[in-house]
Amino acid sequence: MLEIKDLHATVGDKEILKGINLTIKAGEIHAVMGPNGAGKSTLSYVLAGREGYEVTSGDVLYKGENLLDLSPDERACRGIFLAFQYPVEIPGVASATFLKTAYNAQRKFRGESEVDAMEFLKLVREKTKELDIKDDMLKRAVNVGFSGGEKKRNEVLQMSLLEPDLMLLDETDSGLDIDALKIAADGVNRLRSPERAGLIITHYQRLLDYIVPDFVHVLADGKIVKSGDKSLALELEEKGYAALSAA
Amino acid sequence: MKNLTPLAQTYLDRFDAARRSLPGHASPAVTALRESGLARFKALDFPGRKVEEWRFTNLSPLTKGIEAMEAPATSLPVAEFKTPHVMTFINGRFSHANSALGELPKGLTLTSFASELDAGNSTLLESDAEDSRAVVALNTAFMEDGFVLTAAENTTLDTSILIRFVSLDGTADNARHMRNIIRLGKNATVTLLEEHAGADGHAYFANPVTDIALEEGARLNHYKFQAESNTAFHLATTDCEVPAGAHYENFSLSTGARLSRNEITTRITGDKALSSLNGAYLIRGHQHCDTTTITRHLVPENESKQVYKGILDDDAQGVFQGKIQIVPDAQKVSGDQLSRALLLSDRASVAVKPELEIHADDVKCSHGASSGELDEDALFYLQSRGIDGKTARKMLIDAFLADVLDEITDEAVRSFFAAITARWMEEV
Ligand SMILES: Nc1ncnc2c1ncn2[C@@H]1O[C@H](COP(=O)(O)OP(=O)(O)OP(=O)(O)O)[C@@H](O)[C@H]1O
Ligand SMILES: [Mg+2]
Repeated sequence: MLEIKDLHATVGDKEILKGINLTIKAGEIHAVMGPNGAGKSTLSYVLAGREGYEVTSGDVLYKGENLLDLSPDERACRGIFLAFQYPVEIPGVASATFLKTAYNAQRKFRGESEVDAMEFLKLVREKTKELDIKDDMLKRAVNVGFSGGEKKRNEVLQMSLLEPDLMLLDETDSGLDIDALKIAADGVNRLRSPERAGLIITHYQRLLDYIVPDFVHVLADGKIVKSGDKSLALELEEKGYAALSAA
Repeated sequence: MKNLTPLAQTYLDRFDAARRSLPGHASPAVTALRESGLARFKALDFPGRKVEEWRFTNLSPLTKGIEAMEAPATSLPVAEFKTPHVMTFINGRFSHANSALGELPKGLTLTSFASELDAGNSTLLESDAEDSRAVVALNTAFMEDGFVLTAAENTTLDTSILIRFVSLDGTADNARHMRNIIRLGKNATVTLLEEHAGADGHAYFANPVTDIALEEGARLNHYKFQAESNTAFHLATTDCEVPAGAHYENFSLSTGARLSRNEITTRITGDKALSSLNGAYLIRGHQHCDTTTITRHLVPENESKQVYKGILDDDAQGVFQGKIQIVPDAQKVSGDQLSRALLLSDRASVAVKPELEIHADDVKCSHGASSGELDEDALFYLQSRGIDGKTARKMLIDAFLADVLDEITDEAVRSFFAAITARWMEEV
């Protein structure tokens, strides 16, 4: 589904990604861990197509196509979803309007008919219930005044609604309370299927108890320095990254 | 004596011939008024940039003289805003054929200013003789028409009145010196929408002066849509007196003109009075739009509010000058002012000058001003959900404007203005 080959990327004039190689097949969940400032969010932004994150060399193929040629909205419509580490507040744009616009934009892209307000509301209500999100959030402006945890739940809500093929989660667990973590993980697990894949960035092993990954990678200083199965996460939890670089 | 600007000189040269055909020429009182206006204008000339109030608006493209442009005359566009009360002025003159005043309530009169002048009715203009503003003085010398609206005590009109000022050509004597008078009696309520329009490519100078006096408890919803030709100049001056319990609500939506200025002065002279001045300007290309407000709290216990928002694309320039004056002893007054600009291009700019002159201590005043670009993070966030760039930009621009349009009390006008702003954004 996703093939990253020797990816180098700069932000400003600074090289942040220094040769990433990573292949994610349909049905797989990959966890990425690593110290602060290693370039994890940068990788997720490059995949989502954020301006200012310049790819200087390397390739990224998504479903066999060159991903880097596509605009962020085209990537989203083709099934890539990034749950932001820091979801953005958008004053003046009601959450419900935002969700409906995004949902219909993706339907339109797939050649499906747009859903009307009533139908959409029904659909969102189902999801908010699953994710234990208060409905009044839909009336509020996107993320404005939301608590840290509420913002993260809102990311999962959007993902559940848009049902992406490739989920990119950037520290969706940080800021969530224990119950919310479980609910959010359930949301992700509901989407897991042989046709879908996920890249989950986290600092904590705990999330991986709920969303069990097929592979775990360590990203440090812009490179993947170690890969393994889920036991790698446990090992890191115990010994930290320092032990890894000493080894 | 210093030389006058070329345009000022043409006005002086033209006056003698013009006054013989201007309305009220048979009335000595009107003639005296015109002469005093001309004398003041001659002494003042158009304001240059050394005049503090005009520092940010350079009138030289106007004052060097308007070039008549080759543009075919157009026909009157159908009014988009629907109401049974429509008064139309074409090329600066009342057009009976294109007006439909409908059934107005008893106590409410709507007439043309030219007919009032021809009837020698100069008492409408008492205060004019001392006015030291050049464009007002020029208007006094050359005023040719406009609307006169009076409402007797307790008169209420539920539907809005639409006043259209439409320029259909931009040739020859390409100036429109409109003079409008509004007088609302005690507890009278009226809603009025002015439309100022001209087809792009026509060059002319619109110089409307509007004089408003409300009596106690009166309410005027005064809306204006300025969509002049993209080669026109529009310098509007509005004065309103707001006494006890009266409420003046003004909303100006500006999308037109090459250079425009909307100057509003309110004098708050009673307790529980409210002056609410709001507006939005949407400009692009090389348009220049100046909003200047002067709010004077002359007695205690009243309120003023202002919210102005601008969206500027390309090389457009915006100006906001807002002065709030609170005289000594005008205690328990509240005055709020907010001006925000959204710059869609890095060549667009806005100059903002809030001025608070507060001489009383028990008052609540605030002003805020900001200008900035579209939030790139928000744009990316929307796009990352599948919303295309153009739609995402529109959503953010809409969000920026939404709360200022909410200041419009009249629902029909609010949705009319929302439709216009939406259309403007189609071209962003
Ligand atoms: N706009 C920018 N200009 C300069 N440097 C930047 C910019 N954005 C990010 N960086 C730098 O890039 C590096 C990688 O940042 P990134 O956010 O990808 O780290 P991360 O691995 O996600 O860290 P964390 O675990 O703290 O979230 C950091 O050193 C950061 O300071
Ligand atoms: Mg990060």
